[in-house]
Amino acid sequence: MSSAAVRRVPRAAVIGVTMAAGLMVLPMLWVLILSLKDSSALMADTTTAFSPPWTLVNYANIVGDGQVAVWLLNSTIVSLLMTGGVLFLSSLAGYGFARLEFPGRNILFIVVLFGLAIPEQAVIIGRHQLFAAAEMHNTYTALVMPGLSAPFGVFLMTQYFRAIPREIDEAAMLDGASRFRVFWRVLLPLTVPAQATLGIFTFFHAWNDYWWPLISATNRDMLTLTVGIAASQQNFAQAEGLGFLMAQAVFAGLPVLIIYVIFQKYIVRAVAGAAGQ
Amino acid sequence: MPLRYLAFPLAALAALSACGERDDRTEITVQRFFGACQAEYGDVIDPQEAEGECGIITAMINQFEAENPDIKVVENTVFWPGYDQLTSQIAANGPPDVVTMHSSAIPDYEARDLLEPLGEDLPALGLTADDFTAAARAGVTVDGEVMGIPIDVWAPLWHINLNLFREAGLVDSQGRPIMPRSTEEFLEHADRFVEATGKPYFIQVTTKDLAGPSRIFQVYMMQQGDPVFPDPRHADFDNARGREVLKFMRDVYAGGYSVRDQDYAANVSAFLRGMGGILVDGTWMVGQFDAAAHDPDSPLYQGYAVRPVPMMFDGPPVSLVDGHNWVMPRDSSRTPEERAAALRFLRFFAENDFQWARTGHFPAYRRIIDSAQWQGLPHRDDIAIITEIGQPLPNYVRRQAPIELIVGEEVSAAFTGAKPIDAALRDMERRTNDVLQSF
Repeated sequence: MSSAAVRRVPRAAVIGVTMAAGLMVLPMLWVLILSLKDSSALMADTTTAFSPPWTLVNYANIVGDGQVAVWLLNSTIVSLLMTGGVLFLSSLAGYGFARLEFPGRNILFIVVLFGLAIPEQAVIIGRHQLFAAAEMHNTYTALVMPGLSAPFGVFLMTQYFRAIPREIDEAAMLDGASRFRVFWRVLLPLTVPAQATLGIFTFFHAWNDYWWPLISATNRDMLTLTVGIAASQQNFAQAEGLGFLMAQAVFAGLPVLIIYVIFQKYIVRAVAGAAGQ
Repeated sequence: MPLRYLAFPLAALAALSACGERDDRTEITVQRFFGACQAEYGDVIDPQEAEGECGIITAMINQFEAENPDIKVVENTVFWPGYDQLTSQIAANGPPDVVTMHSSAIPDYEARDLLEPLGEDLPALGLTADDFTAAARAGVTVDGEVMGIPIDVWAPLWHINLNLFREAGLVDSQGRPIMPRSTEEFLEHADRFVEATGKPYFIQVTTKDLAGPSRIFQVYMMQQGDPVFPDPRHADFDNARGREVLKFMRDVYAGGYSVRDQDYAANVSAFLRGMGGILVDGTWMVGQFDAAAHDPDSPLYQGYAVRPVPMMFDGPPVSLVDGHNWVMPRDSSRTPEERAAALRFLRFFAENDFQWARTGHFPAYRRIIDSAQWQGLPHRDDIAIITEIGQPLPNYVRRQAPIELIVGEEVSAAFTGAKPIDAALRDMERRTNDVLQSF
């Protein structure tokens, strides 16, 4: 390819990507601008969003509703516990499958991988009955525990542990380290990139999860942000409370946006890493 | 040791699961839709100071708590209509004590023996079934048993932009809107309207939402007299009456008399912006449209009227109605004290039904319908006839919610021209019968 062609292609690509990015951002800008208008004005005409007066009353109403803070806290607790749990269990399982010899290991690994192919919808009734029998609905345990079963996490960590040379384990053991110490002190630090990938995906999945919290958390104090916001909608909220609805959407997205800004470098790496798996 | 690392998350889970507070009040869980508006009305205990469904019900519950300090109301607001959550709660043996339910959904839950009959409790509520309006009573009565306490009756209505009607000469000498009395007259009026105003005569849902088209179709079918559901296991759509209704709806759409590509929200916005003559919408919008009619900046200023869906076929006068009700799901763990507290809650709502009727819905009680207070509310005299001619679908039709979606899909496909009318009617009947016969 000539140098001129090299120069031309990136310019077109930049223009194309910029336009695509603009198209992707437009709905979010629309949500933002709607959230800054009084709902009654939007009910009459949504194009009033482009002209003043704008208002923060929708955000004031969110802050004024103590329930939203509770839902935010619930989502944070559930997401953090699920992320921590998945990282912990997937690392242990991944290490076991990658390093330990035990009867039925390969069959068990295949059984775990089957979990990737089974949709949540197929097991939801059984899962619901299980938690109902244990009288655990409307608890953090019920919200977190099903998410701890993470076949993708086990698969990812297994592959990552397998890629680490066994000589590292052997050298540590020769120095007198126990198997757990080898796992904890030597191998686990080497898996930080995979942990970051898994952690970010798990956190976002837990934060955005709607279906299981909708079914399990029926007490208003135990709702997560996604379910709580949906429950706040009036029967015809798309017509009656549009500004408030959009403000809620912005509010719900803010924590994720902040996390993205802070961990942008890791998230980009995580997505790139996952694509390369 | 590995256990050291497990200790924190396990302790955190256990501690968080055990969170809770002691309270000596009798606690009842009230589950409802109508949205959440705690920020605006969380401290309001006088319903008169609240507006709209969400505001008024929030204020009424606040008032109940204020007047009954020995009862704690745990309020669960669910995403409309909330039946998935309710079913889930019942399956988990943890249903709420009282819950909002549409009249059309009661037969479904009753057939599975999931609701407590409340007929024997009516004296404790200071009520008899005769206190209910005919439509409200029909909505909560299944096989002769009262299964809920009605909150309201609602119906699809024609909301009219009187300013555009005047422009088209479709008002009588007293300034009242002239309603069509047949499908032919409808098309004639629509033609005049479009020619005079350049705007569509009819604002109806044409995309995404299915309840609207389904209700319009059901109303027109009911207006022809013969039952659509001759028995609990069969629907009768695929007939000459069905063809006539769908052909009419198709003529309205294809003739350019209707808006296109609009969902419910777009419908409401279009009507408020004066973009069409008639909006098909429910009782709940009367209050808001009337407020717009008093706003000098609104296209509806001094130009709003509302009427029942006019009779355009040759059957007896009738209007399709549904209703909101309180029901009590069966719960073997509910104590007598909790049940008594729940009944006091229901009694409070029955006694204060006028406040709820301010939303635009019809009161569920004769004494309120007959009161000067209710009749003095705007536009109520124009639509009060519905309390006499309103009919729900027969309550032996158990699965009305899924049937509404099926009918809505097929009707939408037919009148927009996406599907031939005969095929739509055939599929509508087959799919509905599948649902009725699989129950």
